[in-house]
Amino acid sequence: MSETPDVTTEEVLDSDGVQAGVEELALTIRERCGASGAAIVGIHTRGVTLARRVVAKLREWGVDYPMGTLDISLYRDDFDNHGQDFPKLESSDIPFTLDGSRVILFDEVIFTGRTIRAALDGLMDYGRPAKIELAVLVDRGHRELPIQPDYTGITVETRREQYVKVRFRENDDREGVFLITEK
Amino acid sequence: MSELAARKDLLDIEDLGLDEIEYVLDNAVPFKDLFQRSVKKVPTLRGKSVLSLFYEPSTRTSSSFEVAAMRLSADVTHFSVSTSSMVKGESLLDTIETLQAMRSDYIVIRHQAAGVPGIVARNTGASVVNAGDGYHAHPTQALLDAFTLREVFPDLEGRRVVIVGDVLHSRVARSVSTLFRKLGIEVAVLGPGSLIPRGRHGFMTRLSDWEETFDWKPDAIYLLRVQLERQEGQFFPGIAEYHRMYGVNSDRLQRIRRLGAWLMHPGPVNRGVEITDEAMQYEKSLVNAQVENGIAVRMAVLHWLKPENAKE
Amino acid sequence: MTRLFRHGKVARSDSPELGEADVLVDDKGTIVAVARDLSAPEGTETIDCRGCVLVPGMFEVHARACEPGLEHRETLASCAASALRGGITGLVLLADTEPPIDSGNLVKSVMDRIATGLPLPMLQSGCVTKSREGREMAGYSGMAAQGVPFLSDAGRPVPCPDLLRRAMEYARDFDLPVASCCDTPALTKAGAMNEGSVSYRLGLPGIPSISEEIAIDRDLRVADYTGARLHLMSVTTARAVNAVAHAKADDVRVTCAVTPHHLVFTEEDVGVYDTRMKFLPPLRPESDREALLDALLSDVIDMIAADHAPHTEFEKSSDFGSAPNGASGLETTVLALYDTFIRKNVFGWDLLIRKYSDSPRRLAGVERAAVSPGQRADFFVFDPAAETRITRESLRTRGPVTPFLGRTLAGGIRHTVLGEAIHG
Repeated sequence: MSETPDVTTEEVLDSDGVQAGVEELALTIRERCGASGAAIVGIHTRGVTLARRVVAKLREWGVDYPMGTLDISLYRDDFDNHGQDFPKLESSDIPFTLDGSRVILFDEVIFTGRTIRAALDGLMDYGRPAKIELAVLVDRGHRELPIQPDYTGITVETRREQYVKVRFRENDDREGVFLITEK
Repeated sequence: MSELAARKDLLDIEDLGLDEIEYVLDNAVPFKDLFQRSVKKVPTLRGKSVLSLFYEPSTRTSSSFEVAAMRLSADVTHFSVSTSSMVKGESLLDTIETLQAMRSDYIVIRHQAAGVPGIVARNTGASVVNAGDGYHAHPTQALLDAFTLREVFPDLEGRRVVIVGDVLHSRVARSVSTLFRKLGIEVAVLGPGSLIPRGRHGFMTRLSDWEETFDWKPDAIYLLRVQLERQEGQFFPGIAEYHRMYGVNSDRLQRIRRLGAWLMHPGPVNRGVEITDEAMQYEKSLVNAQVENGIAVRMAVLHWLKPENAKE
Repeated sequence: MTRLFRHGKVARSDSPELGEADVLVDDKGTIVAVARDLSAPEGTETIDCRGCVLVPGMFEVHARACEPGLEHRETLASCAASALRGGITGLVLLADTEPPIDSGNLVKSVMDRIATGLPLPMLQSGCVTKSREGREMAGYSGMAAQGVPFLSDAGRPVPCPDLLRRAMEYARDFDLPVASCCDTPALTKAGAMNEGSVSYRLGLPGIPSISEEIAIDRDLRVADYTGARLHLMSVTTARAVNAVAHAKADDVRVTCAVTPHHLVFTEEDVGVYDTRMKFLPPLRPESDREALLDALLSDVIDMIAADHAPHTEFEKSSDFGSAPNGASGLETTVLALYDTFIRKNVFGWDLLIRKYSDSPRRLAGVERAAVSPGQRADFFVFDPAAETRITRESLRTRGPVTPFLGRTLAGGIRHTVLGEAIHG
């Protein structure tokens, strides 16, 4: 736990916990999707990292699902620009046809659900999946839209004004799930 | 990325920082990727209004902006001055008051007088994009040209580009040369003495003829559109002589091909003047790419600028 | 009312030294005494001039009062008020009104209006050509009879050298100088500013310096050939100044003026299309500005003239290319020159008096002004310790377009004294 005069950070899940969460997700997905398979689409930026890890785990078990990435900056509404005035746009890359497919969207955290709504809009501009499901590492509650994950790593109880940060070693200097409180 | 200061308008290339330029060029890539989808639209500017105000006729640039705005789901209104009540002679200030009252989020303006987009920008809350003002600037053209060149040369530093033609009257030449210089490209100019301005930037080396140009080994040759009839007087004997001296004919095309140099032109091309029909088929012509990239770059620009009323 | 101006310093044209002295002005507006520690007779108004400089009244040879026809820009009354605010106690009006002043009758009608009671003397100049159209000579004898000090089409050069020659030959009979606008329209065309690196960067059509220089060469040769008097209204380049110097060495009867704007600003000051910096001839590069200053100091340039050209803000609000040329200058010239030069000891009050009072008065054919006993009271009181912020409200001119708008200039003109009247 680290403290500065106005910010408290609590580690909710450490690096091992994160990897355990990844394995849990991979397991459940393999169970439910099995041989018929699914297309994995990660939402930039850390949803892609999570998706890659799950896809890597599945491959270890001999299961090979196609994977794509989705940048949703252009689909966000004004409310959830997340304070970024100058989002760097990434290219979305969906190298397979979506029509008729079963897609699992990946994001590291679900909160109000607005990001996922934007992702749904973005995804459906690429094609018409038969079914879309959602996988998240962390569900922190406080939904504002009727959107729920189908695959969840962990659920964390939070207050609305707190922040949940997921850190992966591929993106950040440490790994874990952190709950941040500002005084 | 968040080191960038918010910018309301894009008026010229001069005061753009390298980080801003790279931001726009980098962001144009995903916008270009959208063209592969069947749904080419994104909802980014849904609910926003774009006013396209062209005092000088131009179908290519105005439609490029319109497509860009529509693909961002913005509402586009197109004002062609000759057909609207904005008669030539209505004072600029009155026009600006009308524009303010319309409360557009974006105004794309092309005007024959240098400085007008700046006056509009200073007097309205809309984000103003300069689509060309007099001889002064055409920033989105320069950006799409840089984007196009970057697709061919990921590393632009140290590359050489020669701009050919009427530099004196060309806002494209001014913006392109300034932007290319900022990106580390060496810029030279080739053209008649009466059309190469005395007061040009010191870094714009003047090459005396095509021989010297080939010796200089340009990586790209940027042809300007030549328009010899001018109200202000005669600057050059005629288009036949221009074509003989400076046009890309089949002989020069051979030399260009041997150099492996790319060919660029902002359009529309005057066939038989700047370039022959045959040379238009050149396999390393970037002219079509420039047009396609124009939409993506303009989408990136509209996405990047922030109108005053967007600042909550 | 007798007035005693106490504890000030008196500026003179023959020396940069400022002598401490009191100045006593009688009730008829004549300077009675200039000496230290004067005592005041009873009933004298005492004006404390501690720290201030008393300077002979300035004289503007290129003023505009815009009557008749352009009263939205200026009137005789506002022009007069503006001049007095600027320490100017006399002026010559240019003839580019609507209609232009091209006949004795029109001169008389302006002079009659002036005579109804303006607080400072004004002279009216006449056109070289009828209606300023550059085609036929105007009636010089009628205008001479009405006292025009010179002829000028103000802002329009005479297009045809033959007409210029004949006009000069005839004007010489009346000893009337022909005052030229130094410009060659066929080279200037739609030019908006000096042709150079700034016009390139701003994408504005440029005015090559040869436009002015060729016009000056032409007019100098015609003046030389005809023996007539020539006055060049605004010289702005080093080459122009050289041409004048050579002509003077050859005894050509030429005088020339420089504007305060060309002494203070360069083409860089156009900035982002600032129409208040749009002039004809245009602002030039720094090297020319320096040459002008040298020429002023070495007397190649005879006088300073603001070329007061008031415009409404609306008129100057268009794009740079379409905007009219010129700015107001009566109220800001002394302040600007003090702020830029006198304060920094580049030159002294004596030079300003020679260039902005003595020489212009000589051209206009009026008496010198001096702060000496026996002279009419004709001076202004300048406070070097003050500051003057130039705002719309502070300006008396109806056309508050000046490049100094919004600036604070060092110094302040407290009073302008002319005869029995004291202003400010």
